Amino acid sequence: MDAIIKTTTRLLVPLIMVFGFYVSLHGHMSPGGGFPGGVILASAFLLLVIAFTEKEVEKHFSEIKIGDLKSVASISLLGIVLLEVIVRPDILHLQTPLTLWSGGVTIFLNLFGAVVVASGLVIIVYSLVKEEWKSKKSKW
Amino acid sequence: MKKTISVFVAIGFFLIILTAVGSFSEQKTEVQEYYTKNAIEKTGSANIVNAIVWDFRSYDTLGEETVLFTAIIAIFLIAHKKSIAEKKEDD
Repeated sequence: MDAIIKTTTRLLVPLIMVFGFYVSLHGHMSPGGGFPGGVILASAFLLLVIAFTEKEVEKHFSEIKIGDLKSVASISLLGIVLLEVIVRPDILHLQTPLTLWSGGVTIFLNLFGAVVVASGLVIIVYSLVKEEWKSKKSKW
Repeated sequence: MKKTISVFVAIGFFLIILTAVGSFSEQKTEVQEYYTKNAIEKTGSANIVNAIVWDFRSYDTLGEETVLFTAIIAIFLIAHKKSIAEKKEDD
């Protein structure tokens, strides 16, 4: 891709990631939540993959690192299970509604859900793109 | 000609279904009233959708996450079929 797209991507990706974390962390107060926040986080990676070539992407994201995301996702899923099944009964009900520190365990559940969705979608995008790179050997 | 007719028939069915759904949504259920009245007190989260998704119906959400995770693992296995097979041959 040309220089304009690359520069715009460099500028936008951090902002998109911050916005994704904002959406997932403020899920209990404003519209949003774990799922949309995770998808926004993954879309930053999608933008990277579209804008840059194989070499430039693999400088920072190797196949090993992407494979580690599986473990991150499964640990977060375990965290969700533990929080929902065991911690459930109101231990963490820190309640002053409409402040950031409210909503009991919801804030942690949102964060874990965002991590599961984001890492999962990154794995999917990377796996599919990797096949494309292998078969075509062209920069698209 | 056939295409146009079928498109119009589909639109007609859609409108019929839409009116039916519209009359359904006017009914108020007990659960709906309970959720809208008690969401902030019971869960502390101001976003009622999030309160329902992650608190009142959290097992449902857990199932959703599990479905997503299963799909991820399946796609990962299909996409990396070759490299996994090579790894097994090395062992």
